[in-house]
Amino acid sequence: MTNEELKKLLGGLVSKTSEQVRPGLADQIKHQIPRRLPWHKGRMDTINIIVDLRINRFAAAAVIILALILFASVLGGRDSGGLYSDSKLVAEYLFGGNKLSETGVAAGMSKYKSLAAQGRDVVFYGEFIDPEDGEAVLMQWKLGDGNYRVMFGDLRQKTVTAEQLIRLQSRMLLKKEK
Amino acid sequence: MEQIGESAHLIDGNMGRNGLDGILEKGRDLLAEDLREGSPAAATKLVDKYYEQIYRYMRRLGHGRQTSEDLTQESFLRAWQHTEQLRNGRALNGWLYRIAGNVSRLYWRRGKGKGAVSIEGFELSQTDDGQVEQAEQDEQLERLNKAIGELPLKLKEAIILHYMQQLTISEAAQAQGVREGTCKSRLNRALERLRKQLG
Repeated sequence: MTNEELKKLLGGLVSKTSEQVRPGLADQIKHQIPRRLPWHKGRMDTINIIVDLRINRFAAAAVIILALILFASVLGGRDSGGLYSDSKLVAEYLFGGNKLSETGVAAGMSKYKSLAAQGRDVVFYGEFIDPEDGEAVLMQWKLGDGNYRVMFGDLRQKTVTAEQLIRLQSRMLLKKEK
Repeated sequence: MEQIGESAHLIDGNMGRNGLDGILEKGRDLLAEDLREGSPAAATKLVDKYYEQIYRYMRRLGHGRQTSEDLTQESFLRAWQHTEQLRNGRALNGWLYRIAGNVSRLYWRRGKGKGAVSIEGFELSQTDDGQVEQAEQDEQLERLNKAIGELPLKLKEAIILHYMQQLTISEAAQAQGVREGTCKSRLNRALERLRKQLG
């Protein structure tokens, strides 16, 4: 049997295996469409492209933030002093060690929104934690295996058990009380 | 004369096909964009356009009828949650079939699908007009279907995606998460095995 004959035979098999689909299946699926679907728009494209280029995520974030600052300054929205201080803020965020800056909270918030949109069980503590504490739990979300994924103030991520999470939260509360 | 020229231009085989492809492409782009924006109407449109295809894909992969329905539903549920992975309309087929393939593989991996092929395989419709030639072809189709079922999963998926679900090589490659070259090589290996088995 030649390849051509085989391909022809495969074509014949298509119609033979095209069985009728149960009427009502489409409606059954449509009934499960969530009222609110995740929303993804242009800005995610830029992030995805940069991450696709296998650039480190922090570098990708820096590129995006600096591009936005430059764009604003070109349009005349910022003076040179503003540009300098914004750049300093970015540098501080990227290289400043375990210090939680406003930028960190904003980045965390963006991650939180994305996870919440996916319907994940996520809790965000951005408004309650000390912005100077890089060890503070910025947010947590539950994983399928019962463990939790935690994002710290310095944007590090770690998978912890429920018990470890409670310890982290207690530590955070004790620090807050002080 | 101008009008005749214009009509001739429109009905010209290649141009006509290109024009139609362009319209289809545009439609897929709009659907992809709406899905990314979280439009429930687009999700409905996605179901209307693809539910039969995905159900038949599951069946051809060897799942039983009820399981195929369940896995089709599961595929759409996952698709709605992963619209961020959908780049544009051109990627629509590859994206959805990749999700469906993952759902199917996960099902096999959990061991739930054991025996599904033998219990509820296809019953290929036999022609009853008594013609010897037709009966021979039916028999060949039956043997081919069985041989496809016995292929290693990756080869089976490639054959089904390209030859039965009619995806392009590029879409089939995307659906399998491999490069086009890998997909072509899988198709060649699958054809070779099928040829040997069918004699």
